[in-house]
Amino acid sequence: MLKPELVEAVLARALKGGADFAEVYAERSKRRRMKVRSGALEEALSGLDFGAGIRLFFGTEVVYAYTNDLTQEGLLEALDTLLSARGSLGLVDERGRGGLDFRKALPQGLHAPKVGYGEKDRRYRLERLLEAEAGARIAPEIKEVEASLLEWEEEVLIANTEGVWAEERRVRTRLFVLAVAQEGAEVQTGYAGPGKSMGLELFDLYPPKAVGEKAARQALTNLKARPAPAGTFPVVVGPGFGGVLFHEAVGHLLETTSVAKKASVLADKLGEVVASPAVTYIDDGTLPQAWGSTEVDDEGRPTERTVLIEEGVLKSYMVDRLGHLLTGYPMTGSGRRQDYTFAPTSRMRNTFLAPGKAQVEDLFAGIDFGLYAKEMGGGQVKPGSGEYNFAVQEGYIIRKGRIEEPVRGAMLVGKGPETLMRVVAAAQDLENAPGMCGSLSGAVPVEVGQPHVLVSEIVVGGRA
Amino acid sequence: MTLEEAKRYVLRRAQELGLKAELLFQEERELSLRAREGRLEEIKEARQRGLGLRVEAEGKVGYAYTEELSQEALDWALEEARENALLSGKAGALPQGKPLGSHDLLGEGLSAPLERKKAAALALERAVREDPRVKSVLMGGYLEREMRVGLESTQGASGSFRTGLAALMGSFVMAEGQSVKQGWDFRAGKEFHALEPGRTALEFREKTARLLNAKPLKTGRYRAYLEPRTMAMLLSVLAQALSGKNALEGKSRLLGRLGEKVASELVTLIDDPTLERGLLSRPFDAEGTPTARTVVVEKGVFHTFLHNSETARALGHKNTGHAVRSYRGVLGTGPTNLYLEPVGNLRLTEGVVVTELMGLHAGANPVSLDFSVQALGLWVEEGEVRHAVENFAVSGNLLELLQAVEAVGDDLDWFLLDAAYGSPTVAVAELSFAGA
Repeated sequence: MLKPELVEAVLARALKGGADFAEVYAERSKRRRMKVRSGALEEALSGLDFGAGIRLFFGTEVVYAYTNDLTQEGLLEALDTLLSARGSLGLVDERGRGGLDFRKALPQGLHAPKVGYGEKDRRYRLERLLEAEAGARIAPEIKEVEASLLEWEEEVLIANTEGVWAEERRVRTRLFVLAVAQEGAEVQTGYAGPGKSMGLELFDLYPPKAVGEKAARQALTNLKARPAPAGTFPVVVGPGFGGVLFHEAVGHLLETTSVAKKASVLADKLGEVVASPAVTYIDDGTLPQAWGSTEVDDEGRPTERTVLIEEGVLKSYMVDRLGHLLTGYPMTGSGRRQDYTFAPTSRMRNTFLAPGKAQVEDLFAGIDFGLYAKEMGGGQVKPGSGEYNFAVQEGYIIRKGRIEEPVRGAMLVGKGPETLMRVVAAAQDLENAPGMCGSLSGAVPVEVGQPHVLVSEIVVGGRA
Repeated sequence: MTLEEAKRYVLRRAQELGLKAELLFQEERELSLRAREGRLEEIKEARQRGLGLRVEAEGKVGYAYTEELSQEALDWALEEARENALLSGKAGALPQGKPLGSHDLLGEGLSAPLERKKAAALALERAVREDPRVKSVLMGGYLEREMRVGLESTQGASGSFRTGLAALMGSFVMAEGQSVKQGWDFRAGKEFHALEPGRTALEFREKTARLLNAKPLKTGRYRAYLEPRTMAMLLSVLAQALSGKNALEGKSRLLGRLGEKVASELVTLIDDPTLERGLLSRPFDAEGTPTARTVVVEKGVFHTFLHNSETARALGHKNTGHAVRSYRGVLGTGPTNLYLEPVGNLRLTEGVVVTELMGLHAGANPVSLDFSVQALGLWVEEGEVRHAVENFAVSGNLLELLQAVEAVGDDLDWFLLDAAYGSPTVAVAELSFAGA
């Protein structure tokens, strides 16, 4: 994408301007979105993102610029604007002399697609979307269905003054179905949205018709559901996207972005018991073709498997370069960003609660009255206070150990550290699911995961 | 190529290929200065531009965009847009356009020297730290954005405008005893000179400090006082039901209710893209329709959806000039400066002042308009705030909430979400609260 001489010229000039470290991140990404509704293609969009970000460190002070002009003049102009904004333009530092010896690591294609981005025509995609849409039309109450296909092919290059030169082609595909069910004045929705770091072979893993059916069944369940009860109850959280509970309640609290500034309630707690012994929590950027996997992070470091919490004991944070400089913790390949318009910060990749020993039935057995949060929506957290929430997309009442009538509109709220201590048991059925996570460096694809988990009590927001 | 050259090239190529084409071009500049512990820790200075294409081929519409302005990339975008159009299953057309002029809605708003902006970021952060209960500052800073948006089409549309805004922001943790709260705040305006770092920092601190030493809230139904920011967030959810596009796609509960009373008489909702200091004012919308003040709900009666040319034609309504599109997206509809009109009959008596809502993106359903979201707030008795409350969720349905509005304050304030939303404090007869 960029010639080594050009990148070297930019990095050398940054060092002459007094920077301790400089990094170039360049990106050329093709994106495609197609949406089907009422048996036909409703909208189709193709796009080409093309830009570069330059990041400089002066100690722990960070300056960042981005531009769409990737010529030598364009990049040097962006750099000079940055140096003059900091007030260091014209500084001449000896370290800018001599060449850089880039260590070029060849991509291994760990998450390479079987069906490349350019293969198969639009009609093939349209036919699969029509199957998904038709798959959702399982009852007269289903009034509206939307099936969308999102495809990205990102080419990234990361190079820095330590000689890192990393290139990666990242292909991601996601199918998304929204179903709207209506009866009288009552309107409810259901969603399904499988996605992986792969090409159109996604359709083999998740047949479009079945994805459509899943969204529709959820909409119909919600149509029959009564408003969730309000109060504090035991909650069994379902596998897969249920992992968003821990993503919000603990994951964000372990990113050095908050930890380094003591703005996380879990800062300075390495080696301490922070959760019940049932909690082993892992962030793994290497899972083959997982939605949140990459070979290198957006700072050019190989991603890795990081055990964050082991049987309740805090083992590691998620550490990016700035986090490492501020805390001294070793980097974990966790520097991520949405695109070239963001400087990277420490972020989750594929984060999941490890399976436990319990049988799924055992989790329900002792519950007199509680909530089964089978499918989850998204959530949010304030790391500084640990206050988090997440929405239940499909829920049921548990009565005397049995799963009974569906309820809708449940929002679970709490404080992360308290919830971590209230995890009673985890079952053996670990599943992961894709989502988009928004934070300081934008929205990045992540997987969340867990087996069935029993939490002794959580505040359930519903109708009082 | 420069943006100008790229624009001319694409329009010429489109005509050669027998296509109708509309070009949305956007250039943006961003400056962000983040301070921490008395020094600047992050400076961001950036430029971005791109070209969005909407093409009509054989009576159907397709989209593409590019940030790379080489001839190859432009040809690629044009071909992709054409193919996307040809596969489309529905008829669509580019509107007839006209010259729209060149407008400057920003003027000298951001013209202060960089050193003054750095000083403002540092002053804000310093003033946030002045309270001993502030245990850590993640960031205190200054942000500005300047944007030029232009539109050209083979159908005669042609025009551009320049706009922008300046903002102070802060994120910090406050603690007293065992009680810990995190504040995140943002205050935006059209002029750098009008920002007041010291006063804004004080306001940020006070908004978070009053939530310290909160007690759990007992589950029950209480009167709710929704502060301006909270109500503005709910308006952003309601805006999706007001969208002509969502109505057309069967995703609005307001479909079929034009002319009906959908809210309390105290509710008058206006979208005004022509407001002189409106954060997101604009002279024309994303497809070149001149904008105008639109009364959406008047004394509880629902008057109109927010339309673009496509949704208005399909539903047989009048186009309100609410086409929304970034160069990276497809044509949609949406508000600019949407606000609830102040009334001034609000007095605190008893209930919960809801100061903040969290998790709205997941906990509020824009189709059913049901919501169940985490909240922070204050307990009020005998007209006075007694203590803060926490660890609870508030739920209901937005249309039922609008029906239950029993008072509206006069403290109109604006918040920037996907659009600018404004509201005074609103009292709602009863909402459902889940807690201890």
